[in-house]
Amino acid sequence: MRLIGVDVGGTFTDIVFHDTADGGTHIHKVPTTPDNPARGVIDGVVALCDRFEVARDSIDHVYHGTTTATNAILEHDGALCGMITNEGYRDIIHIGRHQRPQHFSIQQEIPWQDRPLIKRRFRKTVPHRVAPPSGDVLVTLDEEAVRRAALELKAAGVRSIAICFLFAFLDPRHEERARAIVLEAYPEAFVTTSSSVSPQFREFERFTTSAINAFVGPKVRDYVTALEGALGASGLKADLHIMASNGGVATASMVSEKPVVTLLSGPAAGVLGGAWTGGLSGRRSLITFDVGGTSADIGIVVEGRFAEATPRDTWIAGFPLMVPMIDIHTIGAGGGSIAHRDKGGAFKVGPRSAGARPGPAAYGHGGVEPTVTDANVVLGRLDPENFLGGEMTLDVAAAERAVDSLAAQLGMDRLATAEGIVTIVNANMANAIRSRTVQKGLDPRDFALVAFGGGGPLQAADVAAQLSIPEVIVPAHPGITSAMGLLTTDLQYDAIRTAFMVSGQMEHAQIEGRFADMESALLAQYAEDGVDAARVSFKRTADIRYVGQGYELRIAVSDGPFAAAAEEALFAEFGRRHEAEYGRSFPGSPMEIVNVRVTGIGETQKIAAQGEPAGGSLDAALVATRPSIFRVAAGLETLETAFYRRDALPLEQDIDGPAIILQQDSTTIVRPGDSFRLDRAGNILIRIAV
Amino acid sequence: MTKDLETEIDPVTASVIQGALQNIAIEMGYKLMRMSYSSIIRESEDFGTALTDHEGNQLAESVQSTPLQSGPIPGYVQNVIDVFAKRGDRFKPGDVIMHNDPYGGASHGPDIALIVPVFHEDELVGFAGTTAHHLDVGALSPGSCGIVDALDVYAEGLQFKAIKVVDGGVRNEAVWQILRDNVRAPALVVGDLDAQVAACEIGAERFASLIARYDVNTIRAASRALMDYSERLMRQAISDVPDGVYKAVTCIDGFLDDPDRRDLPISVTITIDGDRMVVDLTGTADQVDDRPINMPLIGTVDIAIWLTVRSVLLDSDVYGEIPQNSGLTRPIEIVAPRGCLANPIFPAPVIARFTPGNQLADTVMKALAEAVPEQVSAGIGNLKVIAFSGLREETHWVHMEIFEGSYGGRFTKDGMDAVDTLYANTRNNPIEDIESHLPMRVTRYELREDTCGAGRTRGGVGAVRAFQFLEPGGFSVEGEGHKFPPWGFQGGAEGQPAELHLLHAAGETEALPSKVPYRQAAAGDTFLAVGPSAGGYGHAFDRDPAAVLEDVLDGIVSTESAARDYGVAIKNGAVDPDGTRALRGG
Repeated sequence: MRLIGVDVGGTFTDIVFHDTADGGTHIHKVPTTPDNPARGVIDGVVALCDRFEVARDSIDHVYHGTTTATNAILEHDGALCGMITNEGYRDIIHIGRHQRPQHFSIQQEIPWQDRPLIKRRFRKTVPHRVAPPSGDVLVTLDEEAVRRAALELKAAGVRSIAICFLFAFLDPRHEERARAIVLEAYPEAFVTTSSSVSPQFREFERFTTSAINAFVGPKVRDYVTALEGALGASGLKADLHIMASNGGVATASMVSEKPVVTLLSGPAAGVLGGAWTGGLSGRRSLITFDVGGTSADIGIVVEGRFAEATPRDTWIAGFPLMVPMIDIHTIGAGGGSIAHRDKGGAFKVGPRSAGARPGPAAYGHGGVEPTVTDANVVLGRLDPENFLGGEMTLDVAAAERAVDSLAAQLGMDRLATAEGIVTIVNANMANAIRSRTVQKGLDPRDFALVAFGGGGPLQAADVAAQLSIPEVIVPAHPGITSAMGLLTTDLQYDAIRTAFMVSGQMEHAQIEGRFADMESALLAQYAEDGVDAARVSFKRTADIRYVGQGYELRIAVSDGPFAAAAEEALFAEFGRRHEAEYGRSFPGSPMEIVNVRVTGIGETQKIAAQGEPAGGSLDAALVATRPSIFRVAAGLETLETAFYRRDALPLEQDIDGPAIILQQDSTTIVRPGDSFRLDRAGNILIRIAV
Repeated sequence: MTKDLETEIDPVTASVIQGALQNIAIEMGYKLMRMSYSSIIRESEDFGTALTDHEGNQLAESVQSTPLQSGPIPGYVQNVIDVFAKRGDRFKPGDVIMHNDPYGGASHGPDIALIVPVFHEDELVGFAGTTAHHLDVGALSPGSCGIVDALDVYAEGLQFKAIKVVDGGVRNEAVWQILRDNVRAPALVVGDLDAQVAACEIGAERFASLIARYDVNTIRAASRALMDYSERLMRQAISDVPDGVYKAVTCIDGFLDDPDRRDLPISVTITIDGDRMVVDLTGTADQVDDRPINMPLIGTVDIAIWLTVRSVLLDSDVYGEIPQNSGLTRPIEIVAPRGCLANPIFPAPVIARFTPGNQLADTVMKALAEAVPEQVSAGIGNLKVIAFSGLREETHWVHMEIFEGSYGGRFTKDGMDAVDTLYANTRNNPIEDIESHLPMRVTRYELREDTCGAGRTRGGVGAVRAFQFLEPGGFSVEGEGHKFPPWGFQGGAEGQPAELHLLHAAGETEALPSKVPYRQAAAGDTFLAVGPSAGGYGHAFDRDPAAVLEDVLDGIVSTESAARDYGVAIKNGAVDPDGTRALRGG
């Protein structure tokens, strides 16, 4: 089977080809075309096929990570949307949780008020109300009012309509009926129901998630349709699959209906790529560390499983989002992060970034503020002549000037300032990782840090040392790890139902029924997508809390029909997880299931391990020996440092730091006291001296 | 202990330690919020966490939570240190101290602090503290808000004055049992207190290991650098304000149905002298001896002042995140005559100080408005807290809900709609959560149309929210802003006061004042809270007609109001330029 992965980034579109029959892999990079990203995708795929003489019609699947939905929401450039909701509750998405995003600000903006996804004039209310616990109808849906609302919205030019009813998670039929009426009156409308997007309680968050789906929907649908058409027109017969935030891929038609599942498409592929890389070296507990120009994305993989974000911690562009997602923590710290002395005299790095233009001072595009990249240049950690494999020459003098200007403000010398920039940004990154590990009861010493993106391998060793992480893994191609990740996914669909039920008063048959319903719905979806039932497996989980708590933990449900033994095991596991996550459990307190979930995995063919690197020798790899600055114990020292070419390193040989390893898409730093080796999987493994 | 005074700290280490301290406070908050039981903590986020040094100076606080909870923690800790000194008691490793004395740093009785001392080797190096609003502390009626008829602090519930509830690692079971026996909803209250203890212990453990990673002197030097840094920022911000004396007075409702206890002035005089600020509350009404709207000076009044000054002068939207610590408050001196509402004398009751305190915050902003008009908003809409409760067999249920206000218009932006204001920043409870767990139904939650104060930038819009009792129960209310509308600024119109109505199941409607001591409700009774809409900023005739049209299209302003208040004629869904010119007088 022949696979292609295409990841659209801010600057480059990366393409990876893999043939599962012979293990052959090819890589290609083209500039991203922001005005019409599909063009860059097609150009890149075609160029790769031509360059490596791959017949276009022999490709079976194209896996694609897209930022179409993400950009639409970040740039607030989506469809004109309307909402149909219950009479009496017109402003749920405007009032929100009545909390201001910032405590200490008069001038702040509230995203859902200042940049509404659906303006009030387009929020129509209709008589209808159901009540918990079983969805009893208090007020029957006024179908005529729904029709009227649809026609009014149509007349106003609204293209996309969200149907959001209170308690729709108890019974989706009312929203579905309203959807049918809307489509009757306005067949071209893009219609979203809250129960199909996220059937779980908390109306502000669910309605907002639905509004986001409505907002980005037409754009994503148009993009996917255009891309499918263009692939066909270019002679490709491959199926198009799109990366979703949950770590799986979804079919083009599924994504056209529920584009909200793709909002973290790009970073999710990175986590998968990092996990795959670590797996090649036999590591299954990993912290993925993807550092770009402006931000760093952090993901956690425990024993091969991705940590999933709790729905109450997921935000995009300031809006809450309740769809299953890999837990990816993004902080504003990257190579372009600007170091400065703030008003109070403190030494700070980021979150402001020099971006792609002007970029770091060393890029010579007119940047004058010192960035993390400039600090690395001043410290002699980046080879000015061999940056990006020689594609760009770094302006050392400009980097020094930028760092000097800050040094003068701080009353420090140049080298101490440059080293300080790196230390502070690394501390920020380490704090971010700490918040996802130590704070959740995970011990970083049990993990390896997989460093990728252009900047990850530069910072990783120091960040790992701050957290006592014993090992850093640098993949063969740090710059295209996300595109590789696309070729490691399965077709993953999630289903969820809110089902409040307290321990000891559990109706097992009812719970089992909900699981079974979700599984048969997912099976139908897989059948529609042409996936054989034999290749589909299910994972059942439940969101549980102590009765009265407001936050749930997701716990795996044991296989087989849900009965007393499964309940007991479930709640016992909850107690253990609560203890691990928060430091305490409350034995004897009643517990409550809040949601039940099923994740379907439709297995697909994936990229295989790459061949063993040829392996060279230390002499062949050594480019130069030059002085570089490192923090040793409490002070700074200048040490003779070896610069190696990665592609000539010897295989399975331990080499002592300090060292700097050069390759086209990244630079790896090995600190004094640490050591590294190139392993048979093609990864560099750095052993961190703790 | 003196040698560390000489320790110098480099800016890099200071920056790294600051990040680590902040991270610990955040982790404490995260854990407390997720472990706690009652909705007032986990959904409304009415809790705080902080780290202090060994003298109770605040080093870092959680970014979640509400400022009125994290802010007072140093005051609690400092009072506990004083009480221990007076009693000859000592802090030991493994201690957990409970404290809620409103005349000893506590914000009010229901905000119970748990405090854990942090040791490095045998030396006391700091404290990890949490505060949280508890559902019930054994006051005279169910719930811990709306106790507006408490005669003195004894009527407000249990008082814990620096009590070791865990003594050197051993739980003081008698205290816990007394507590359990004397509060309604003990399972929730004790569950929440346990969550607080766990969060403090995690904080103390992390703080101790941070010290172990560096050393005590480095941490102390970094702490001092951190506080000096925040102090410097505040002094600089004060220096940017023109020297002078700025004065404002507003009024609180007090008890509108009681001629002797209503229409009470709050007076604020701010003197700016270089990089110092004095906030003088002289002129504020005398304390009310037998009703709990008095405000503890430490724990409520100071927080209201600091919060407002900080939000106006060091607005985080403009200045970015600034470390919240005791250094920030050093340049601000507070003067409050003893015996006034803002500095009551023991045992005057204080439990319902929440909304008067927020009115004080608003008055501070009004005084600053004269000095820095571009940095303030016009008058805010104040809040309400309501306790709903009932009895099921022998067990109480209690649900507390904070009703939102709104912000006045701002120099370049309209006011924020339907949010908590100034020193409060809690969250509402999802309708779908309330109705799934309580015998209540939320029958309406929408914006209050056509009420916001007109202005060049308009005031924020209040919310209308209705709760219906599905079973017999009761409620109590503490609120403000029924009589005096939010102030307009620079020609902007005043906003609209709040209202409260009880719609009896039997049919008649009863208007309620802003404070209602506990009373019973019948099944089917509906409680309708009409939130305040805030004041306008600048003359409404200067508002861009296109912006007025937007509000008309959204149903926020009626066509009639557009013409009357803004001088904008709207015809067929568009601005009528001729009509507008005529209305605006040329």
